[in-house]
Amino acid sequence: MLESLYVLILVGTILIVVAAFSSLLAFRFGAPLLLLFLSIGLLAGVDGIGIDFDNAGLAYFVGTIALAIILFDSGFGTRISTFRLAAAPALTLATFGVLATAILFGLAASYLLGLSLVEGLLLGAIVGSTDAAAVFFLLRVGGITVRERVRSLLEIESGTNDPMAIFLTVALVETIRAGSGLESVGIDVALGLVGQMTIGLFGGLMGGMMIVSVIRRLAIDRGLLPIITLALALSVFAAVGAVGGSGFLAVYVAGLYAGNAKLSGGPTIKRFQDGLTWLAQIVMFLILGLLATPSQFGEILWQSLVLAAFLIFIARPIAVWLCLLPFDFQRREMAFVSWVGLRGAVSILLAIVPLIGGLDESRLFFNAAFIIVLVSLLVQGWTIANVARRLGLVVPPQTGAIEKHELELPGSPDHELLSYRVVDGSPVARGERIPRWARPSLVIRDGRSMRYQYAGRLQAGDYVFLFISPRYPPLLDRLFARPADLSPDDAEFFGEFTVDPAANAGALAEAYAIPLQPEEAAMTVSELMMSRLGGEADYGDRVSAAPVELIVRQVGLDGTVVAAGLSLEPERGRGSHIPLFFSRRDLVAGVRRLFSRPGRQP
Amino acid sequence: MDVDTLVEPGAILPDLRANSKKQVLQELAGKAAELTGISEREIFETILGREKLGSTGVGNGIAIPHGKLADLDRIVGLFARLSRPVDFDALDDQPVDIVFLLLAPQGSGADHLKALSKVARLLRNRTIVDEIRATRDASAIYALMTNAMAQNAA
Repeated sequence: MLESLYVLILVGTILIVVAAFSSLLAFRFGAPLLLLFLSIGLLAGVDGIGIDFDNAGLAYFVGTIALAIILFDSGFGTRISTFRLAAAPALTLATFGVLATAILFGLAASYLLGLSLVEGLLLGAIVGSTDAAAVFFLLRVGGITVRERVRSLLEIESGTNDPMAIFLTVALVETIRAGSGLESVGIDVALGLVGQMTIGLFGGLMGGMMIVSVIRRLAIDRGLLPIITLALALSVFAAVGAVGGSGFLAVYVAGLYAGNAKLSGGPTIKRFQDGLTWLAQIVMFLILGLLATPSQFGEILWQSLVLAAFLIFIARPIAVWLCLLPFDFQRREMAFVSWVGLRGAVSILLAIVPLIGGLDESRLFFNAAFIIVLVSLLVQGWTIANVARRLGLVVPPQTGAIEKHELELPGSPDHELLSYRVVDGSPVARGERIPRWARPSLVIRDGRSMRYQYAGRLQAGDYVFLFISPRYPPLLDRLFARPADLSPDDAEFFGEFTVDPAANAGALAEAYAIPLQPEEAAMTVSELMMSRLGGEADYGDRVSAAPVELIVRQVGLDGTVVAAGLSLEPERGRGSHIPLFFSRRDLVAGVRRLFSRPGRQP
Repeated sequence: MDVDTLVEPGAILPDLRANSKKQVLQELAGKAAELTGISEREIFETILGREKLGSTGVGNGIAIPHGKLADLDRIVGLFARLSRPVDFDALDDQPVDIVFLLLAPQGSGADHLKALSKVARLLRNRTIVDEIRATRDASAIYALMTNAMAQNAA
C-alpha cells in the first residue's frame, strides 16, 4: 500500500516536472504550451505509457479547484481600469455569446452526431466558453502586444464566460437525466441562471471585501499571507457554491476586488499565485489528458473535426458579430476576437459532467469535446500571433527591454522602492538626468554603493534605486529602457509624419483636405483624436481622418495624446477588406448607399 | 507618377549651404519660386505653416517639407542635399541633411498624398539614401532617384 503511494507521488511529480520543463521548449518554438501539457497527459495515459486513470470524479474535483484558482488569479491580475474599458462588450460575449455559440453549435452537433436536440445543445454548452488560461497565456506570453481594447475584451470575456457555460451544461445534464426534452427547459431554468449569477456576483463582492479586510487586519508572517488569501478565495468559491450561487463567478469577482484593493502584500500574493496558476494549469491539463482514451477517438473523429471547424469558422464568428454589433468595433477587431475563441481545459472539464451524471452518451461527449479542444488549441493557438499581425492589431513595442525590480515597503502602499539596471543605449546611459520627483537615492556600481549626487553620469551596468509613487513608473521605464527596435513595418504603423497634438485641428485639416465637422475645427489635434476615439486614446490607436489617418504615438498621464503620427496611406492591407463582420458603421453606410442610389438616377 | 514628373534635373540642389531649419526652408522656397513663378514669401509661409503642425523631419536625417499652393498647376518637387546637417526638430533628434520639398496645387487631394508617400517610401530605402549622401553631383542624384523609383514601382 505504502509502496504504491510512493510510486504514485513519484509518477505525478515526474509528470509535473516534465511538463514544466517542456515550457522551455514551447517558448522556443511558439507552440501552445497548454497543448503540450495535454499531450504529455495523453502520452502518459492509457494509450501511451499505460497509466490507467479512469476516475472521472477525482478528475472533476481536481479540475474544479484548479479552475477556481486560475479564475481567482485572472481576476486578481485584472486592473479595474482595464475591466471598465471592455466590460460591456465582454460581458455580452460572456453571456449572450456563450448561449448563441451553444445553440448554433448544438444544431450542427445534433445533426452530425445523430443526437437529440437537447444532447446537441449539451455538447454546445460544453464547448461554449473560451478558456481563460489559454487566452491569457497566448495574449500575454505570446510575444506580441495586441491593442489594449481588444486584449482587455478577450481577457475579460475568457475570465467571465465559464460560469455561463457551466450553468448551461449542468442544467442540460439535469434535463437529460430527468428524461425530458427541450420543452421542459423553460422559465425556471432562466430564473435559475439569474439567481446563480446574482448570488455569485454579490457573494464574490462580499468575499472580496472579506479577503481584503482579513489581510489588512492580520499582522501575519509574509510567507503565510498568500496561503491565507488562497484558502479564503477557495472558501468563497465553496460557500457561494453551497448556497446555490455560481462559485466560479464569485471567485473571479472576489479576485477582481482584492486585486484592485492596493493591498500592501499585493506583489507577494501575486507572485505566489503566478506560480500556483501554472501548477493548476499543468495539473488540470495533465489529469484531463490522463483521463482521455485516444483509441476511442476514431469512432467520431471526422464528425468532431467538422464540428471543430464549424465552431471556429461559423458558430463563434456569428456569435461574436451579433454580440459586438451594438459596440463600435472595427471589422478586423471582430475578426480577431472571433479567432481567439480558444477552447481549453474548461471544456474538457465540463465534458466530465455527463460522465459523472451517468448519461448514456457520456463517452461520446467527452471524446468529441476533447478533439474539438485539441483542434482549437492547435489551429487557433498556433496562429494567433500571425493573425494579429495580419490584421494590423499588433502594436509595436513601446520601449525596448527594461531590467527592473520592485521592492515592497512596509507600511506605505503609496510608495515603492524601484531598482533599475542601467542598460546600454538607454536615455539615462546617454546622459539624460533622472527627474527629481523620482528621488534617485542610491547607485550601486561594481558592487560599491554611492549616493546618486556623487555618482556622476550613470554607466551601463549600474543599479539605481528610486523611491517613488506607483503612479509614475511608465515615465521612468522610458528613461531606463533600451530604445525599441522598430522595423520598417512599425515605422509605417506609426505614420510617416509627426503631428503636434497641441496644434489646431482646423489647420491640419486645411493642409491635408480633411473634412471636419464644424465643431471639430476649433479643437486641438489631441482633442480631435480623443473625440473621434470615443473619449479614450490608447497607444497605437488609429483615428480615421480620411484621406489620412492619425495615430496615437504616446499618451500622457492625464490620458491626452502627447505624440501623434500621420499616415498617408491608411489601412494599407490591414484587414479592412475582410468581406465579413460588417461593423455598424459599414451597415449604416451600406443602407444609405442602397437608398441613395435610385435618387441619383435621372 | 514618376520621379521625373515630381522633380526635374534642374530642381536638385546637390550641396546646399544653410545654418538652420528656417534658412533651409527659405533657400528652398527661393529656388521653388524661380521654378514656379509663385512668390517666395507665399511658398515659405505655406511650408512654415505646415512645420508648425509638427516637424516634417521623418528620421534618419531626412525631412520632407510640403504644402499646397493655390496658383500652382502641377506637383513640384525640389531636392536638396545639405552640405552640413542642421537641426530640424525631427522625432529622433538627428540633424537633417536630406530634404525633399513637395508642393502641390490646392485641389490635388489624393495625388498630393500619393506623391508624398512615394517620396517617403523612396527615402526610407537606406541604400539609396547612403548613395545620395555620398554624391555631390546633381545629375548623379537624379539618376539614383529615378532608378530607385523604377525599382520601387516594379
